[in-house]
Amino acid sequence: MDNTEYLRPSNLKELGQIMAGHKNRATVIAGGTNLIPQMRNGGKSPELIVDIGDIQDFSFIMEDDGFISIGAATTIAEIASSDIVSTFSPILASSARELGNPLIRNRATIGGNLANASPCADTALPLLALDAVIRILSPGDKTRNVVLNNFFHGYRFTDLGKGEIITRIIFPKPDDETTGSQIKIGLRNAAAISVASIAVMLTMEGKICRKARIAAGSVAPIPMRVSRVEQLLENQEISATLLEQCKAIMKKEISPISDIRGSAEYRSYVTAVILERNIQRALS
Amino acid sequence: MEQNKFHAIGRIARRKDGIAKVTGREVYSSDVTLPHLLFARVLRSPIPHARIKSINTREAEKMGAVCITSEDTPDIKYNERQVSIPEKTYRDRVVLPDKVRHVGEGFAAVAAKTESLAEKAMRSIEVEYEKLPAIFDPYEAMRSGSPQLYDEICLGDTKLPIESNIACHREVGEGDVEHGFKEADLVVEKEFRTGRVYHAQMETKSVVCRPEPDGGISVWPTTQSIHNTRQLLGRIFSISLNKLNVHRVPIGGSFGSSIQMNTCIPICVALALKAQKPVKLVLSREEDMYDHCKYPVIIQLKYGVKKDGTITAGELKTIVDIGGHNIQAYPLLGCMAGWFVSLYRMPHLQFDGTAVYTNKAPGCAMQGYGNPQVSFAVESMIDIIAEELGMDPIALRLKNYVGLGETFWGQGPTVRSVIRSCGVEEMLLKGKDMIEWDQRVSPDKKTGRYRKGVGVARGFHTSGTGAPTPGEVIDYSTAMVKVNEDGSADFSTALMCHGGGTLEAGAKIVAEELGIPIDKVGISPADTRSTGYDVCTHATRGIYCGGASIQRAAKEAKAKLLKFASRLLDVNPEALKIQPREESDQGHIFLPGSLEKHIPVGEVAKMAQYKGWGTAIGVASHRQVNCPPCFVTNFIEVEVDTYTGEIKTTRAVAAVDCGTPINPDLAAGQLEGGLCRGIGLALLESTDYDPETGRLTCGGTFIDYKFYTPVDMPPVDKVKTFFADTYESSGPFGAKGVGEAANNATAAAVVNAIYNAIGIRFAEAPVTPERVLKALQNQPDVEK
Repeated sequence: MDNTEYLRPSNLKELGQIMAGHKNRATVIAGGTNLIPQMRNGGKSPELIVDIGDIQDFSFIMEDDGFISIGAATTIAEIASSDIVSTFSPILASSARELGNPLIRNRATIGGNLANASPCADTALPLLALDAVIRILSPGDKTRNVVLNNFFHGYRFTDLGKGEIITRIIFPKPDDETTGSQIKIGLRNAAAISVASIAVMLTMEGKICRKARIAAGSVAPIPMRVSRVEQLLENQEISATLLEQCKAIMKKEISPISDIRGSAEYRSYVTAVILERNIQRALS
Repeated sequence: MEQNKFHAIGRIARRKDGIAKVTGREVYSSDVTLPHLLFARVLRSPIPHARIKSINTREAEKMGAVCITSEDTPDIKYNERQVSIPEKTYRDRVVLPDKVRHVGEGFAAVAAKTESLAEKAMRSIEVEYEKLPAIFDPYEAMRSGSPQLYDEICLGDTKLPIESNIACHREVGEGDVEHGFKEADLVVEKEFRTGRVYHAQMETKSVVCRPEPDGGISVWPTTQSIHNTRQLLGRIFSISLNKLNVHRVPIGGSFGSSIQMNTCIPICVALALKAQKPVKLVLSREEDMYDHCKYPVIIQLKYGVKKDGTITAGELKTIVDIGGHNIQAYPLLGCMAGWFVSLYRMPHLQFDGTAVYTNKAPGCAMQGYGNPQVSFAVESMIDIIAEELGMDPIALRLKNYVGLGETFWGQGPTVRSVIRSCGVEEMLLKGKDMIEWDQRVSPDKKTGRYRKGVGVARGFHTSGTGAPTPGEVIDYSTAMVKVNEDGSADFSTALMCHGGGTLEAGAKIVAEELGIPIDKVGISPADTRSTGYDVCTHATRGIYCGGASIQRAAKEAKAKLLKFASRLLDVNPEALKIQPREESDQGHIFLPGSLEKHIPVGEVAKMAQYKGWGTAIGVASHRQVNCPPCFVTNFIEVEVDTYTGEIKTTRAVAAVDCGTPINPDLAAGQLEGGLCRGIGLALLESTDYDPETGRLTCGGTFIDYKFYTPVDMPPVDKVKTFFADTYESSGPFGAKGVGEAANNATAAAVVNAIYNAIGIRFAEAPVTPERVLKALQNQPDVEK
């Protein structure tokens, strides 16, 4: 950590300049809840840390024209206690409440949670299910949008190029026919990293499911949408038989590993259990 | 004696250290700072078993760091725990070894001007290891031809060869078990296992040392015994004890992790002596997790019982995987025998315990010292027997428990005393009502995804290790109480408060005895130069043993105070009484029935000063001749999710028979804390090792070492605590201990509750969701 440079821009313009000028060596830090432990363990030794903590307009939760926008540096605690988030996307609010512990939630940001691209990133699942889009600031003051489902490329590997930074997360306000549910299995309630988790959003027309979004965490190298299960549900009446089929497909689609938090076998089993439970809860 | 006669004992009072603690102003070891302080780092082995062939510290020294290796430290074998007499103390380690026996064992250290420079210097040290085959399983370790951790160690000062990695072995028997089993109508036998739990005390072990101009050294360590730390350092470094001052520093939790003089302390002393500057060493969480853990046990338990539930014989065989060093396995085995013998009456009994070395972080005492492990097995077994006999589990317990007038082994076979206070029956019967035991139904009548079950378990812990005759364990305390010239008082003792309120209790004992308000009693800072010997604040002895010495010192101070008052009032001292008076906020000495004959305590102390009579001061160095059991009972309700295997604890009743509760609020807090740790032992906690690398699979951090937290506990209004109404005549104002008792019964109550929920008996802790699910999948009647 001794040779790390540190910059703390005070606005988006300065940030853009720094990121463009040092694009090969800049590592962005917000809450630092991932980066600092990684540096301590000797896993990462960035040459230049760019701290976005001073930038105004980076931390907000807005409802605007049918969309919810959340600034990348908005803390998990702010999301967990936001009325807007609770009203329009309760599954994002509840997953934020289950992330880490109060100390972590007060520091960690939603942008950081996504950029770190851990398979167990708690906020990624509801955001995937909500069809979220990531807005990215690229060198040269350019802005581009990426659908979150295309953002995670592999284990801790994202669509972010050199010198790029997430600025906000945007998702459409779900309509009245759309409901969601989210379940995280951890080893305990407090500060648990998920063993397996699922978020579900369903749009219903009477008994028929018109649109399904299923996202699963900690069961693949990335937080993932499970499209085959979604397709199975869409335009169908959700029956017990269909749920059994969904569970079977779910187990095939995921590729969990065994680690200290759980075996592959257990993860596969409980993922199917919480899928069913989520769908039932979303419909109830 | 009735509790409401006390003005201080049993009062809920503001903690004297409360404001400092909640505002962050308390000074712990890691907060101690001194001029010219250097910072230390320890170089630790990444390999579980290796000989250090060479160490090159040149680069580190070029950076300005002071370096030490085995060549710079005394070649004196020690055991960091010094509670037993020397003939029973197994010494197998040195300050810095040339052979490492577990990952994380330190073998070199540096001190430098900044923490980052020390870290850099430590990393620059070049080491050549000769890798040795390592062993992680205790059964494998005992097999002939297995790699040996030791050829010989020292028992006291005598050399002791080690064979088959067996650190020590203990057998205790009474009667004839074979005969007892023959008399039985039913013989039950089962193997139980508990995990390698980490203490997870909030403060990692730390120490600051300052070499003194006279050749001595001052130490501010994380420890539960300043006097044992001083004696050990004196022995290792050949420093006269009068030049070796160990300060008592508030401790950030312990759970038994600092009964011993922690190994970082002599390393830091060696660095400070070489550097001739003060040095601070603060362990990281990872280092701390590689430093110690609870003793994991394998227990084979066998009971013989008559049809009416009378136990005819019991046999407990245990293998304890102690890791790379024998810190206190010999007394542990004795204690395990004692816990076994003292739970239920057995006319014939046999105990057989073996402690085995493996290449893992060493085990040491942790809240209960083998008791939660033994109780886990015994209390599970009592439920098994009750079911086999068709008896109510509570009735079976009431029939067989060791109680009033019977003999109790407080610290193994050599520390025995007779039970004179006992709230077992009261707690079982009252707790039974509180948890609505009679509404409990058997598991086969339960259906649905979520299934609830209620379990009971009881237990106890010793209050200290005193006994009528000296045993193999040392136990006494020293205290000094003096009355100040304004009517306030100070007391000093080397007792330690681990957070549970031991010193608060001391203040209340002084206030009660002297008849002055609690607010007027000050807790003096303590160090080894200004206090008499106190063995250690461990074994749930703080209030019962330490408090008794404080009470005796206070009585002596009071006698002097009354003598002075008797001269001033012209009254026989024996006719005088003291009571606090609100209007003057101090104690008043008075002659009952007289309006004229009274005088404030401060006035007496001041007059005694003016007249040159001296200070009303008392000193006592006292050994308790009993070790009364503080009994405990837990009722726990769990809810098992049969789809995911997750277990929630939904209700609990925790009761303790601690005699007079001196700090009722803090004692209730201890009960809740004990529940929390006990549930963790049952459901969650163990430090596992990767047999390939010899490293902790959790990586040594709290990211993946999970213990039970308040958020996981049943809701606050669903956790009920109460105290049995007892009075222990040998304790200060009727008090016994609480601390370790609080968690001894919990793990068994949890598995008994799980059995009641789903009809599956788990004999291995922790009962993780995966284990539950696997077991459930073999149960045909559970829908999936």
